Amino acid sequence: MRKTHILSLAATAMMLAGCGQGLLGNGGGAQDEAKGPIRLGMLVPQSGSEAAIGPYMTNAAQLAIDEINAKGGVLGRQLQLKAADDACDAQTAVAAANKVVTEGVEVSIGGYCSGATLPTLPVFGKANIPMIIPAANSQELVDQKLKHVFLINGTGTQQAEAASKWIAKQGATRVALMHDNTSYSKDIAVRTQPMLGDKAVITEAVTPKESDYSANIHNVLQKKPDFVYWTGYFQEGGLIIRQLRQAGFKGSIMVGDGSVSAKLGEIAGPEVDGVFATMTPIPDTLPDAKGWIDSYTKKFGSAPGPYSNQAYDAVRLAAEAITKAGSTDGAKVISALEGINGFAMFSGPLKFTPEHTLSAGGFQILVWKDGKFALQDALS
Amino acid sequence: MTQLVWNGLFVGSFYALVALGYSMVYGIIKLLNFAHGDLYMLGAFSGFAVLSALGGVATAMTLPVLLAVLLMTMVSTGLAGVVLERVAYRPLRGAPRLSLLITAVGASFAIEYGMRIVAGPDPQVYPVRLSGTAIEVFGAWFTLQQLVLIGVAVVLMVGLNLLVTRTREGRAMRAIALDPRTSSLMGIDVNAVISRTFFIGSALAGAAGVMAGAYYGKIDFLMGFLIGLKAFTAAVIGGIGNISGTMLGGLVLGLLESFGTYWLGGEWRDVFAFGVLILFLTVRPTGLLGERVTERV
Repeated sequence: MRKTHILSLAATAMMLAGCGQGLLGNGGGAQDEAKGPIRLGMLVPQSGSEAAIGPYMTNAAQLAIDEINAKGGVLGRQLQLKAADDACDAQTAVAAANKVVTEGVEVSIGGYCSGATLPTLPVFGKANIPMIIPAANSQELVDQKLKHVFLINGTGTQQAEAASKWIAKQGATRVALMHDNTSYSKDIAVRTQPMLGDKAVITEAVTPKESDYSANIHNVLQKKPDFVYWTGYFQEGGLIIRQLRQAGFKGSIMVGDGSVSAKLGEIAGPEVDGVFATMTPIPDTLPDAKGWIDSYTKKFGSAPGPYSNQAYDAVRLAAEAITKAGSTDGAKVISALEGINGFAMFSGPLKFTPEHTLSAGGFQILVWKDGKFALQDALS
Repeated sequence: MTQLVWNGLFVGSFYALVALGYSMVYGIIKLLNFAHGDLYMLGAFSGFAVLSALGGVATAMTLPVLLAVLLMTMVSTGLAGVVLERVAYRPLRGAPRLSLLITAVGASFAIEYGMRIVAGPDPQVYPVRLSGTAIEVFGAWFTLQQLVLIGVAVVLMVGLNLLVTRTREGRAMRAIALDPRTSSLMGIDVNAVISRTFFIGSALAGAAGVMAGAYYGKIDFLMGFLIGLKAFTAAVIGGIGNISGTMLGGLVLGLLESFGTYWLGGEWRDVFAFGVLILFLTVRPTGLLGERVTERV
């Protein structure tokens, strides 16, 4: 009953907005739309292989929402988080997307695994819900040039550029690329390969969720690489780092942003020391995030992790766009997002490219030192 | 080349240990116990629980502690197997084969997601790790710990073989495999023997789980799924129901994967290994060492 009520209200509002834009003006129509909270949908993995990431993102989003609500909310309405579990799995993600859409979310601020985020694009698209994707960054997400999709994490291409830059800086001559055949991971590997030219000696795919990668590692070591770049997630990453070292590999190892997690070090053991990573700014490497880390830690009893800052920024960006649009209408929010110029985020001032990606990827090189990732080179 | 063989044998010995339980259960009651891989997961988690409870003691004496934990885990996983049989399979003993198969799949999901509720969805990392420096022999890199693990696997498999071929218990198992009804007429307590078979098979899977946890370090609630399928494949390649065939099947599958990866590249490994499974099923459905079973009347 309640749902139909909201739906019909929304329909009326849209008709009003459609017919009488000039007459009603921007503010008036939107103010009357609904007095309930503005719901933000967030699909992140809360179970499955990437479950460790989920809380980092939902907590940070909640922190941003609480801060905004304390200041009076957006357009006089409170924000409300509707998180759902995508399990880093395509089918679960589509079901979760349908769930949050029926719950009446106005903007989506989730998306971690590219493979799981990709099939949810049309679900949100049909419901005319703008998507601010905080973490997932496969090029495929923007290749379809969908109007409602915005990435606030660097793309696969930008990550590949950062990786090849660092590989050149390290003077590596024989580079092995390893990926896990998922959309995100393969994307980075196949984009890095041509940038390296004939320095890339092998691109090896592994089967995720296994324990023993000795056969793949044998293939890689056959080519006598002096640098290995793993572009997949941290579970396999930890095992691969450990098994590479146990197989006698002495060169450098670098991992992609999906492997940047404290769990990587736990799984890999002491072998993780000195491992590099391509990553967008994380709380630890941000110069002015000290106060933010403190308030996060105080609220949730644990420190923020990978993609906490992007999730936090996604909420703030959504609030900014809705305020600018003066309404939660999908089309208006989208054009507000496109018009944003210089909005302050952790990764720097924001301006979207025509493809709805960041104009600068902001990828840095981290290194594992003293039990965590620390900044090695900002690549700027 | 030596490295390929070594890698294959190492992975293969895990497959063989898990496959044995599959094979024994199938041999005796013709049930494909799809929850068997999850017993491997249960083993890994119960070893993890014991090691975490031990805390500091464990790190001081890695190997003896791990062996003790291995034994404790084998007992607890074995008991879990017995409970599984009692709850999920025995009530359906007379039911059509298909009902049993579906129950087995259901049991598998119940164990996996039950563990998810208990231990959480995050992967866990073993507090004690078998990490040694690699040594090179004949061009193959391996660690002493790998040798110990293979040693344990071989001891377990030889022990099982002796049990089945040389003891009264083993004779009872083989008798039931041939004809359960006549066996019970001859005074064999069929239910008790089947329970014990589940105990042994599950204990072996549990042992493999602890070994994998201690060696690879990472465990999670879905870790049993893939290895369950692999173990099934190994059992079919070797000859399901046949003990030595199953051990051979495990090693062969390990080698197939190792060489498949080398020849065709990582993305083709499973295509290759499971392609071989299809080939075996069509050309030699009884497996390498299995014998054609005469239809029971």
